[in-house]
Amino acid sequence: MKRRAFVGAVGGSAVAGIAGCLTRNGNDEGDDSDGILRIATYESMVDGENPAGTWLKEAFEEEYPDTTLEWTVPNNAINDYIDRERQNAEIDVDVYLGVNIDDLVQVDDNLEEGGLFQELDVDRIDNAERIRDGLDMGDPHDRVLAYDTGYICLVYDETVVDEPQTLDDLTEPAYEDALLAQNAQRSDPGKAFLLWTIDAYGEDDYLDYWRDLEDNGVRILDDWSESYSGAYMNGERPMVVSYSTDQVFAADAGNDMSRHQIAFPNDQGYANPEGMGIFEGAAELDLAYEFLDFALSSEAQAVIAQRNVQFPAVESEHVDLDEEFDRYAHVPPEAVTIGYDALRGNLDGWVEEWAREFASQ
Amino acid sequence: MSRSGGSSRFGRRWHRPVAARRWLERRALALTALATALILAVMLYLPVAVVFVNAIFDDGVATLAFFRAVLTDPFYVGVLADVFAEPLAVGTHLESLVGWLAAVSISVSLEYPLPGVPLPVPWPSLELPAFRKGLFGFTAYQAALSTVASVALGLPAASVLANYEFRGRRTLRSLTILPFVLPGIMVAVGFYAMFGRAGTLNRLLAIGGLGPFPFIEWNPLAIVIVAHAFYNAPLVARVTVAAWESVDVRTVETARSLGASPRRAFRDVVVPQLLPAVLTGALLTFIFTFMTFPIVLALGGLQLATVEVWIYDRVRQLAYAEAATLAILETMLSLALTYAYLRYESAHSGLARAATAPSREPLFPDLRTALSPHRLAIVGYGLIAVVVFVGPMASLVAGSVTDGSGFTLRHYAFLLERQLEGADYQTLPWIAIRNSLLFGVATLVVAVPMGVVVSVVTVRAGRGGAIVDTLAMLPLAVSGVVFGIGLLQGLVFGIPLPGGWRFQVTGAVAIVAAHAVAAYPFVTRNVSPLLSNLDPAMIESARALGASRYRALRDIELPLVASGIVAGAAFAFAISIGEFSSTVILASGSQTYTMPVAVERYLGRRSGPAIAMGTVLLGVTAASFVVVDRVGGRFER
Repeated sequence: MKRRAFVGAVGGSAVAGIAGCLTRNGNDEGDDSDGILRIATYESMVDGENPAGTWLKEAFEEEYPDTTLEWTVPNNAINDYIDRERQNAEIDVDVYLGVNIDDLVQVDDNLEEGGLFQELDVDRIDNAERIRDGLDMGDPHDRVLAYDTGYICLVYDETVVDEPQTLDDLTEPAYEDALLAQNAQRSDPGKAFLLWTIDAYGEDDYLDYWRDLEDNGVRILDDWSESYSGAYMNGERPMVVSYSTDQVFAADAGNDMSRHQIAFPNDQGYANPEGMGIFEGAAELDLAYEFLDFALSSEAQAVIAQRNVQFPAVESEHVDLDEEFDRYAHVPPEAVTIGYDALRGNLDGWVEEWAREFASQ
Repeated sequence: MSRSGGSSRFGRRWHRPVAARRWLERRALALTALATALILAVMLYLPVAVVFVNAIFDDGVATLAFFRAVLTDPFYVGVLADVFAEPLAVGTHLESLVGWLAAVSISVSLEYPLPGVPLPVPWPSLELPAFRKGLFGFTAYQAALSTVASVALGLPAASVLANYEFRGRRTLRSLTILPFVLPGIMVAVGFYAMFGRAGTLNRLLAIGGLGPFPFIEWNPLAIVIVAHAFYNAPLVARVTVAAWESVDVRTVETARSLGASPRRAFRDVVVPQLLPAVLTGALLTFIFTFMTFPIVLALGGLQLATVEVWIYDRVRQLAYAEAATLAILETMLSLALTYAYLRYESAHSGLARAATAPSREPLFPDLRTALSPHRLAIVGYGLIAVVVFVGPMASLVAGSVTDGSGFTLRHYAFLLERQLEGADYQTLPWIAIRNSLLFGVATLVVAVPMGVVVSVVTVRAGRGGAIVDTLAMLPLAVSGVVFGIGLLQGLVFGIPLPGGWRFQVTGAVAIVAAHAVAAYPFVTRNVSPLLSNLDPAMIESARALGASRYRALRDIELPLVASGIVAGAAFAFAISIGEFSSTVILASGSQTYTMPVAVERYLGRRSGPAIAMGTVLLGVTAASFVVVDRVGGRFER
């Protein structure tokens, strides 16, 4: 009897089926602002250990009573909004926190140039003038402002290998089977390292350099988590492409510092500034500008830097950082970045050529 | 009609429900089939079509240009590019094939297979002149190797679980499916922790004065294949155990009484009954490993990239035409393989078997038996299983309670703190656990009837049935990345309708439906071979005696194929728990995330919290598999 009840129940409930739904967009949302500022960002901004996002929300709501800050984490980052724009689907966020130069290139390569975000009226953002020189993101349409930056470098185990002085060193026998890098198709640090080599060797010769690296046994894993948490932390190899703030985490976790040395070959590191912009159809324009200004305030800059473990975007006189942070977060002697103009129309091709080089069977 | 007779009062009262039930009973099968078709149309065909259209239309004009571009690119199809470029130049192609064959040679040489160990082994080597496999060729090659490894590792487990009795057998049988639900990153971390230079295996070998060996770097392809076996051997084992337990022991006894040796009886009687199940496992493994993507990149690196890796990249670059073209080719390959298998399966439906389960002998009844070669082989297999299956999972659990400075509970403290103090836009562990379990049960409830109905509809339909059945396997054959994009563009963004309306499907219902779509083929593939083995005369008799088709199914067929249904149900549950790519898209911006999604969301600069969440996933699913199997076991006989 029980068996019958089971089979019967199972059979019956399938009929319940699926509830589709019809929605109608646009009409109910007029110009009236509801005091809710919607911000899209990436996962670790709101969901990591001690994320900056929780603080930003509380502090912003405290400073602007009657407002609510809502976080959204799109799955495919900027692509979600490019897709929505292409398909005329609704974009219901006001601000994007975490646009990098690649994203802008991706937007302009796929939508009309200068699309998705509005040109910023920098006069409305008093704190914008505090931003360091060299963190200009190079957008000809002035859609984004940097709020922090990170540097890609090499992290190495000094008990196994010496500090590499140049990128050329990595092709020497001393570094045979030593380096772990990431797939530039999928990973931000992987892509940054690739762009760094393009900056160093030129777009005609970078593949030759990578062929030398391949001959010397470079290993290219999926993304940062796999190469770092998987292979590097399990002692697979003594060197990995990572961030110059790595020691902040290593010190906090009580790791052996000899395995977390920072190297800046060619005395360089690849800078990856992160920017924020306001969507073209933002419903809360005034609040959005207030937020951009707020994110560049001294207090917010210190919190973003320390909790996000990236460097502040403003000049050092405008921000106080903990001694611990200053001690373990390293800045390269020279920061390199390939700007918007050079990336435009080239980025996808460079990455694909590079990936085909490694994946050819 | 009322059977209560005497009292018309009662008669009237009971009349309507009984009639309604009869009505429902007569149409139950048709209604379930209709619901299945509806779910498939909305949750599978629509999203997939949304993406596939990109490959065929360019600015609204139908074109084959995208296919031509892919098929003539040696990067994708290797040496076949020439053939596709000039399909009519048969002479030239034959010449190059003959030239290649002429260069093949076989030689025997002395090799030292273990580095550092002076043990010469005569090694026959087949000298194949290099040829370009292309991405598709390599993908098929590694999938074939992975399938062989998975079957080789899965069959002994099935044999032990089906034939021997020992303490914890049932629990072990329930847990065989556990690796199936682990997110790729967890498996990668577990494998590095087990097989890495400083991993558990090397530490064990060091006790014996050996090593350390760089297992992963020696041969990344081998490690990727072992990782695929980690995922898929349990699948092979599970499908095979279900079939083994429904082998009719009387046929074996008959063969024995006619003078067949145990070996002969096994070969001639048992093997044919198991073969469809083993091949089902092999087929599923091949398709899964053909579409593999995080594991090859995490353990093997970009050098071992598969077609799916390129589809993902093209999608990331919003180059949907190329992504869709690759996905269609991939899908066609899988479906062709599925069709070939299904033709085989339907050709091998045998005579009726009212199953009398084989009895199990104790694994280690006494010391003398325990030392027999057969038992020692089982012990040897057990050791391999410990290294391949238990090792990575145990290393994962160990990783969740250690950090750079030794033992710590801080990763779990993070989960607890997040649960107690987390904001609503953050990922809370308990909600993830609750959702996973709810969706798992709901998926099971939806996918089992779907799978059974597809089985019933196709089992006795011959060649036409095989075609329908092949199409019903589409969820397995279509790229997860493409399916995700289709769900996003088709259902989350919505399909525009006249009047400013949009048709959108998101939230919990959509997630369960998507899971059920991914899961029902497992029910079908577990049930169909058993169902097609039943004697049609039994159903015909029942129907002749007045039973509706549904009643015949419920009272006669289903009880006889219960072991397949329970195996399928466990798979449905497992698929739901482990599903990631469509869940993450449909759960965006709502409270419907699951445990694997939480694992990915906790991945950050430090992997500790993610690994702790992965361990919770492991614990919760292990417990629920035992429950699913125990509850399911009550329905088996």
